[in-house]
Parts: sequence; structure tokens; C-alpha cells
Amino acid sequence: MNPLYVARARTDKIIRFLCLSAAAFGLIWLGLILFTLISKGFAGLSLAVFTEMTPPPGSKSGGLANAIMGSIMMTLIGVGVGTPIGMLAGTYLAEYGRHEKLSFYVRFINDILLSAPSIVIGLFIYGAVVVPMGGFSGFAGSLALAVIVIPVVVRTTEDMLLLVPNQLREAASALGLPRSLVIRRIAYTAARTGLITGILLATARVAGETAPLLFTALSNQFWNVNLMKTMANLPVTINNFVQSPYDYWRQLAWTGALLITLAVLALNIIARLLGTERKSK
Amino acid sequence: MTDMSVPAMTDRTKPLDRARALAAFKLGDSTFYWLTRASALIVLCLLGGIIISLIVGAWPAIKTFGLEFLVTRRWAPQLSPSPVLGALGPLYGTVVTSLIAMLIAVPVGIGIAIFLTEFCPPMLRRPVGVAIELLAGIPSIIYGMWGFFVLAPFMTEHFMPAVIATFAHVPVLNVIFAGPPSYLSLFNASLVLAIMILPFITAISRDVFQTVPPMLKESAYGLGCTTWEVVKNVVIPFTRAGVIGGIMLALGRALGETMAVTFIIGNSFQISGSIFSPGTTISAAIASEFAEASGVHMSALILLGLLLFVLTFFVLAAARLMLARLQQQQGK
Amino acid sequence: MTQQVTDLQINTDMSATPASGTQVREDKLIVRNLDFFYGETKALKNINLALATNTVTSFIGPSGCGKSTLLRILNRMYDLYPGQRAEGEVLLDGQNLLDPKLDLNLLRARVGMVFQKPTPFPMTIYENIAFGIKLYENLSKSELDGRVERALRGAALWNEVKDKLNASGLSLSGGQQQRLCIARTVAIQPEVILFDEPCSALDPISTAKVEELIDELKEKYTIAIVTHNMQQAARVSEFTAFMYLGELVEFGPTTRLFTAPEKRQTQDYITGRFG
Repeated sequence: MNPLYVARARTDKIIRFLCLSAAAFGLIWLGLILFTLISKGFAGLSLAVFTEMTPPPGSKSGGLANAIMGSIMMTLIGVGVGTPIGMLAGTYLAEYGRHEKLSFYVRFINDILLSAPSIVIGLFIYGAVVVPMGGFSGFAGSLALAVIVIPVVVRTTEDMLLLVPNQLREAASALGLPRSLVIRRIAYTAARTGLITGILLATARVAGETAPLLFTALSNQFWNVNLMKTMANLPVTINNFVQSPYDYWRQLAWTGALLITLAVLALNIIARLLGTERKSK
Repeated sequence: MTDMSVPAMTDRTKPLDRARALAAFKLGDSTFYWLTRASALIVLCLLGGIIISLIVGAWPAIKTFGLEFLVTRRWAPQLSPSPVLGALGPLYGTVVTSLIAMLIAVPVGIGIAIFLTEFCPPMLRRPVGVAIELLAGIPSIIYGMWGFFVLAPFMTEHFMPAVIATFAHVPVLNVIFAGPPSYLSLFNASLVLAIMILPFITAISRDVFQTVPPMLKESAYGLGCTTWEVVKNVVIPFTRAGVIGGIMLALGRALGETMAVTFIIGNSFQISGSIFSPGTTISAAIASEFAEASGVHMSALILLGLLLFVLTFFVLAAARLMLARLQQQQGK
Repeated sequence: MTQQVTDLQINTDMSATPASGTQVREDKLIVRNLDFFYGETKALKNINLALATNTVTSFIGPSGCGKSTLLRILNRMYDLYPGQRAEGEVLLDGQNLLDPKLDLNLLRARVGMVFQKPTPFPMTIYENIAFGIKLYENLSKSELDGRVERALRGAALWNEVKDKLNASGLSLSGGQQQRLCIARTVAIQPEVILFDEPCSALDPISTAKVEELIDELKEKYTIAIVTHNMQQAARVSEFTAFMYLGELVEFGPTTRLFTAPEKRQTQDYITGRFG
């Protein structure tokens, strides 16, 4: 055997081993996290979690009902506010303004916002909404989430519309369709599953956001569906309970974490299934 | 010819009807256009809004401390009547934790990505890839509480004492790895951060690696290259801009991450040479102090947020430029 | 200037055409001194020709010669993209299409287009047809059904799809999809139909069907077809235009152009010496 070749083959083997170890190393941590989360989270799962309010200090009973409700409300409102704006802006980038200078800047800024620290978004909403309105509120929390939703939806909307072949737009225009109808009736329909996937992913993204809620929605020990008041929510509740001295609270934190993770994973999986369905078509 | 004249007759009346039908769409058409354009402008305004609102909030602190803020180590909000506040501690913690996290996560993440695209048996490729992507979507607070309850105790009891003992007599290293071990430390926070950005780096590097045209790889294999040589000489050079972009993107995340570090960083504004001692990051400082802060203390926290935003803005902008370069290259 | 075809000559040509008999046809579309630019690049140079009512005119030439570009001017499709502009005159029944104030949607309803690749909309077969009709007319359900059926019959597709009108348009075969697109175009009753290499993505049997259809359609519509297939041009059209490097080299009755081309370049092309 050529000695040079032997050396090359050995290097290849070593690298192969290193990459395999990296994969094992990475997956072990991630497996451990899921394992802890599931074992600790399921231990505390009971009906009371869904029916009872978050407990006052020292209490040995209580659930997360108000926090779950608050999270669902704020997430839905955040997605509801952010999605139309994001979709329209994404439509502008992909359709009307594809070659405009404005789109270049919007795209760039949007990509920055996409990864901007979420705690800064919290500070922004604190300054722009909480202070002028005179207090923390579920409404402010929802807006903070909407600010996070917008760039995600802008990005997916643009990407999905760009996948729609131009020929389809030309064919629709050739029938004499006004531009807005070409977009709404043809391009949106053609990109439908992709657009839904984007909205689901945005929902998953904000469902577990904690930092922007810390000083916008704050939290609340009681059942509250009034958006103008402080509102309990799972992430902030977990945040408060993790650092508490009470075992029962910590247990609830794990259970809440499990609920959030399951919801986020479910949304991701549905989005992924929709995505593969689109590809196979 | 006679039956031809009939459609010709109806055709002649057509344009008028159509004009009326289309006129009905005119308003909707231009409304829709302006709605999309306005929404695109909202995205720009969001950025402007964030910057303005942060500057307004931070103004009292800017006026009080000026540039001194950047180089002051002391954080004493309780001093009255005039608190002394400086950003050096959180800035140091932010940079150190992010760097350590990147040192761990980048090689491992790229290693996994190479494993997935080149070495992995095809059967495992999809499930592992999907698992990584799903893990990238798990909220950061989950990583944070796992770090607090599981990782920190384990590292502090089993890993840190061994490292401290090993390097006790090595100069420099005995300062970096100085005891006593603490649950709440820069190192533990960095490790959680690394585990959190790991799936992200893996997913993005894998996507980038997959942009290499198969023909290019095949021609290298055709020369008799080993898999690693193909990776080293074809895949990585071809995707360099994209990989660096992905790493910067991950760095942007690490710098701004709040919930993964808040629980275990210790929220101490001291700067000590040891990474085993408590510290704080900008986002952790904001998260843990903002609710109880007021006056110039709160303003200083907002100023910290502004610094963080500027810092991540430049990192993310650089990342996007790198990724755009990869796209351009693909387009060619 | 390599060609001096003027309106006058075209008209004399046409009246002299054996295919059109002794009757003198009217010109539906007249193109005069047309230049076209992609940004700075001049893609069409001084095009002059006329499409006679109820005839098929085909455009042939090597790829990149501007034949598709010319077709896309006739319904202002190029307007969808920035940086493209046309200069000169294109008259549809005497009205200049290049008038910037022209309502493009109205124009496109009058000048339909069928594309290279079949482009069914992502909706049912029925909706694919009904969609365009509903845009312009307020019809009852039964009137609409009638119009859809007539359009599908007109595109020789009715028998194949009448039992699955609610299936997705994408579920049809390529040839059927293309005829669906023709039906969709016919349904809104245009006056001119432009075909942009309509058969290049189809198998020979589907191609034959589409060609038959084009032959029937010329009874009612004025047709222009771009094709890279010279046999197809010879089969379906009365008039043929040969284009090369953005210029109209020769234009005349198909039989004459293929049997006795006047220009050297035309002769080279149709005998396969280049292109």
C-alpha cells in the first residue's frame, strides 16, 4: 500500500470518528434535557393543573389554569395581530416591490428583527405601550409577541410566494386579472400550505417566549381574561416558580415547561407534515 | 362565415361590460397595494421604534453617566442620592459567556452537520436531522431551567473541582479556572448557552452544506479524494461565507439570550478572572432587576438594552451580509 | 435595415395568398416600427407586420431571436417586469396598445395567452374556467355551468373531464392541462389568442390535439403562435414570420415562405443550416 494513501485514509477515519463523537455528544445533551423534562413534568401532571389557579406562597395545592389561559390568549392575539401585517409586508417584498430599493432595506431590517434579542422587544413595548398606558397588561404582552411574530411571517410569506412560478402569475394576468387578484386568488392559493406552515412556526416561536413578557404582561395570581390588566402566562409563571423555595412550585414549573414544550413540538410537527405534503404534491 | 359573425357581434359589446366589471376592482386593487406597502413600512418603523424608545428610556442614564457608563465596573443602584452604575460587568459577562458557548458549540455543531451530510447512514439522516430541528424550536426557558436544576449541580460537584485541582499550579489557567466552584457561574451559563445554540448551528450549517452542487463533490470523489478531503477542499471552501454567516447568526442569538442564562449566572456585577465564579450578562441583568428598578436605575437597564441591541445589530448585519454572499454565489 | 416589409406589402402579400382565397382580410393587429428594450439592450429592432383577422400566424427563428418577446408585447405581458419597454406602435383594431394609459387588464381580456408550460391554477377544473368568467360577468349558476361546458368542449376536453370537474386542475395530464389552459383563455371570449410554444412540453399525441384545436379556433379568433418547430408552423399557420437576432427577416404566406424564401437567412434556417 502507498504510505501516503494510508496516512490519508487514517486522517479520514479520525475525522469520521470525531464527527460521530460530536453527534453523540450533542444528541446526549439534548436527549438528557427531554428525558428530565418528561420524567419531571409528567410526575406533576394532574387535572388540578388545568382547573386550579396558580398557588399563593406556601400553598401545597394549585394549578396553572390561569397561566395556561393567559398564554393561549396572548399567543393567539399576538399571532392574530402580527400575521396580517407580516403577510402583507411579505407580499409587498415578493410581489409588488420585488425589485424596489425599499424592499432591499425592509428585507435587511426584517432579517435583523428576526434574530433581535427578545428582551429588547420587551423593553421596547415597555417604553412604547406599558408606560403610556399606565401599567402592565395582557394587551402589552400580546403586542410584544406580535412584534416577534411579524418578522417570522414576513420571511416565510416572502419565501413561499417566491416559490410560486412566475408563469402562474403571467397566466393569471393574461386573463386580465387585476394584480391584487392575481396575488390573492392565485399566488396565495398556490402558496397556501407554505403560508400556513409559516404561521404555525411563528406561533410555536412565541408560545414559549418569556423575556418579552417579563415586564409587559407581568403575571397575575388570579383568573383574568381582561386584557387591560396584568395577565398570568406559563413562561413568566415558570420563571417565577423555578427560583422559588417551595418544592410544589418547582414541580409546577416542570409541568408547565412540559406543557409548553409539547405545544411547541406539536406545532412544529404539524408545520413539518404540512411542508412535506406540499413537497410530495 | 355566417356563424362567425355572431360571436363577432357579441364581442363588440364586450369591452364596455368588462370595463365596468374591472372598475369595480380598481379601489380594492389600489387599497391592497397600499396595505402591503404600509405593512412593509411598519417593519422599518418597528426598528426605528425600538431604537427611539430605547434612547428615550435610556436618556436619563446617558445624561447622568455619559461615556463613563461603558468603562465603569461598579453597579451600585442602592447608593443614594446618586447611584453609581456601569456597564462593564454585564458587557464582560455577555461577551465571555457567548465566546465560551461559541467555542463549544461551533466545532460540535459543524461536526454534527458534517456527520449528517457526509458520514451518516442515509437511514438515520432524516430522523436525526428532524430531531435537531425540533430541538432548535424548544423555548430557551426550558434550557435555562434544566441548566439550573440538573446541569449546574452536576458540573459544580463533579466537573469543576477536578478542573480546579488539575490547573491549580499552571499559571494563567489557575486564574481562569479558580475556585471555589459555584452553581451560579459564567461557565455553567456558557454551557447551557452552548447546548441551546447547538441545534441552531447544526441546522444552519447542514442547510449550507447541502447547497454544494453534487457534481462538484462527485468530481472530487472522482479524483480519489476521501470523504474528509472532499469536505475540507470542496464543501467548506464552497460554503465558507455561509458557514461564517451561520456562526454569526448563532453568536447574535447567544449575545441576546436571556432565559437560558438568567437562572444560573448569579447576577453578580463583579468581574473576576475565573469563569467558575458568578457574573451577569446584559439580558440577565435586565431580566432580574427591571421589575424592581426605578428612576436612573431603570434608565441604566434600558441603556444596557440599547447597548445589547447595537451589539447584536452589528453582529446580525454582518451575518446577513455573509449569507447574502453565499446566495449570490449560488445564483451565479 | 435588412427588411423593408411595410403594411402595404403585407396586404398585397395576403391578397395574393392562395390559402386565403380571393377574399381580402382585415388586419386585426398591426405592428409598426416596433423597438423593444431589456434595460439598455435592444431586443427587437424596427418590427413591422400585421396579423390578419381569423388567421394563424406563426413566428419562427432560433432561440433568442425575439419571437417570444414580440408575442409578450402584444398583450403587454412585459409590463409585469421593470426595466422593459417598447417603442413604436401596436394597433389592435386601430387602438395603440402601447399607450401607457391603456387599461392592461382590459387589453389582456381581449388578447389571451397560452404559455409554454401548462399553467393550471391551483383550484378545481371547474373553477379554473369559471374563475375568469366570473371576473367579468355576473352569471347564474346554470349560465356559468353552460359557459364552462362550452369552453371545455371548445378545447376538446369536455369528454375527458366532465365526470371530475371538481378534481384539482393539477391532477390532469400535461396535454390535458394545456387544453384546460386553452379552455380557460377561450372562456373569457378574447379576440386574439397568443400561443407561446404551446406544445414544447407535450408528447406527440397531445401536440396533435392542440394543433387540431388551434385550427378550429381560428374560425373565431386571430391567432399568433411562437414555435421552434418548423413543421408545426407549416402545419398550423397561414402566415409565417421568420425572425433572427431581434429583426423580422421575412414575413409572408407560410407556403411561400417555406417553398420559396426570398431571403438567404430564411432559406438557411428552414433548410437547417443554422439555428
